Amino acid sequence: MIKKILDKREVVLFIVLCILFTGFSMNTEYFLDLDSLLSYSRYWVAPGMLAIPMTFIIATAGIDLSVGSIVAMCGIILGVLYRDYQWPIAGACAAAVLSGTAAGAVNGSVSSLLRIPPLVVTLATMTLFRGVAFGISKADAISNFPPAFKYLGHGDLFSFNLNGNPVFVPSALGALLVTVVIGAFILRKTWIGRYTLALGENPVAALYAAIPVHWLTFGIYTACGFVGGVASLFYTSVYGTARADAAMGLELEAIAAVVIGGTRISGGQASVLGTLLGLLIIGILKYGLDLSGVRSQYVVIIVGVLLIVTAVFNEWMARRAGESK
Amino acid sequence: MMKKLFPWSIAGLGLAMVLAGCSGGGNGAAPDDGASPAGDAGSAEGKEIKIGVMPKLVGIDYFNAAEKGAKAAGEALGVTVDYDGPVEADVTKQVQLIETWITRKYDAICVAPNDPDAISDVLNKARKRGIKIITWDTDSQPDARDFFVNQATSEGIAHSMMDIMAEGAGPEAKFINITGTLTAANQNTWMDLMETYRAETYPGMVNLSETPKESGEDQARATQVAADSLKTYPDLQGIFALTSVALPGAAEALRKAGAADKVVLTGLATPKSMKEYVLDGTVDKFVLWNVPDLGYLTVHAAVAAVKGELTEGATTFNTGRITTSRIEGSEIILGDPLVFTKDNIEEFDY
Repeated sequence: MIKKILDKREVVLFIVLCILFTGFSMNTEYFLDLDSLLSYSRYWVAPGMLAIPMTFIIATAGIDLSVGSIVAMCGIILGVLYRDYQWPIAGACAAAVLSGTAAGAVNGSVSSLLRIPPLVVTLATMTLFRGVAFGISKADAISNFPPAFKYLGHGDLFSFNLNGNPVFVPSALGALLVTVVIGAFILRKTWIGRYTLALGENPVAALYAAIPVHWLTFGIYTACGFVGGVASLFYTSVYGTARADAAMGLELEAIAAVVIGGTRISGGQASVLGTLLGLLIIGILKYGLDLSGVRSQYVVIIVGVLLIVTAVFNEWMARRAGESK
Repeated sequence: MMKKLFPWSIAGLGLAMVLAGCSGGGNGAAPDDGASPAGDAGSAEGKEIKIGVMPKLVGIDYFNAAEKGAKAAGEALGVTVDYDGPVEADVTKQVQLIETWITRKYDAICVAPNDPDAISDVLNKARKRGIKIITWDTDSQPDARDFFVNQATSEGIAHSMMDIMAEGAGPEAKFINITGTLTAANQNTWMDLMETYRAETYPGMVNLSETPKESGEDQARATQVAADSLKTYPDLQGIFALTSVALPGAAEALRKAGAADKVVLTGLATPKSMKEYVLDGTVDKFVLWNVPDLGYLTVHAAVAAVKGELTEGATTFNTGRITTSRIEGSEIILGDPLVFTKDNIEEFDY
């Protein structure tokens, strides 16, 4: 029974999370300040949202390296339309989301129709979208967004009292949780999820099984662009600035959460809950180390070690699962 | 059904445990929390003062030198100085780190922001919690901080660099600028002032590239950019390299191309990184301020602000070690820029 439970990767990840929690709680008195922790979670929202479609993409044995650039580009489009063309902020937001979707559609169509590996396609569009962001912003940072827009990143859904101290729950965290639930629902309960896993497991078999492989691929990358556009709203709002060099490496943060979450990089196996746990593990680790006063250089090293350990562990789990079959 | 629900129930259980853990810890922390709204000034007197100092990034000469000064001030004043920053010049990492510093209840946070706007929300949040905010090296939005410790007036820097260029390459020199990032506030201010000063004093000088070349706080990239510029502009006579990594980077390119006789290079960098290029004649003169003094003055200002000795409207501020500083509005100015040459460069070890 215990052995079976430990075979569930989510359980293992959850135990890791608990260990981190316990460790940091004992290590630093500030860690259990729930309000601060929730406030800090605002910065996880953009990478967290991106990690959900990234779970699907990696489940098909693909990858999308361009999402960071998409976030930067959409932020700039939002900012330029609002500042230079006096668009209402809602219109500018809609345009940003549409641009993200279009960018995702470019990734999807090139990789599915022309059958170019997504690694190559998105490596190219990573530079392309970043270039567009620099081009249309003329490398100028855009800020002074209206208060209504600030709500996305800085607003609170509700607050409650914990031992007399108010605790605010960020609205952005709510948006992330909605994304997670939708992602988990699609992966587990719909044909899209089943087809995605089938495609990742064996693309040739998927084709013979009459799965619309090209449409599926196109759809997943487009959806990733869409989520990138949405994430850019939260990202731009929380930092209050649209910059062409924003969101550098955001794609890697998203990919790291997916991989730690147990989604196999070679495709065929995925878990949205695992991705969420992966995101929390990386986030809590960075937060806790920063709170403990560990210098940034070492934080980077420790997170790197965590990734390697996870990769090894995942491989070991996969082999064990293979043997027991 | 049970099987599918299992991971989710685990997650729910987890959330419950997290909340339980927090409420337990919250009890212990409550007296401390209760004191913070009322005890902004009180906290400074009773316990040891804790100052957080954040550079634009860690691991480069310039900010290592500032760290030495900041730590020295901490020792001199008997306060704790923690010095940390992002490993890349990334404002989002600074925002996240400051967020944790707010939770850690620093008495003052001193930051050299990578973006004046993106840093301001989190600084305002810190100020609402009674934390004194000092910006140093480069400013945030003025209403997001208490004081800005400015290394030198921007005019002073812009003018002395222009003068060095005119002296070396003549009053009709054709030049370009190499900056860090195109959004870097310091560099943009200097370039604006250089342009104004050029138009007034050296109208014959020509900027060959209205948009400055970007080197992204990356020395190798600065070398590449400078080498490319030598090819792109065959009649180039002068290069201003405006960051502490762009100048040695550009000097390397000039030396490799053997173009030191044809092109005058100046800018800002630490003396240590430029020593070899000055001694071998690639670069004659460049400017900077005393960087350890900048770190020293910053911590000094932070401590004075926490103790309530430094308030808006003060006009003089003396640290003992630094006598040239003065206050203009909410800016504390370190002094005039230093010009480094073959004769004095070996006196400085940063």
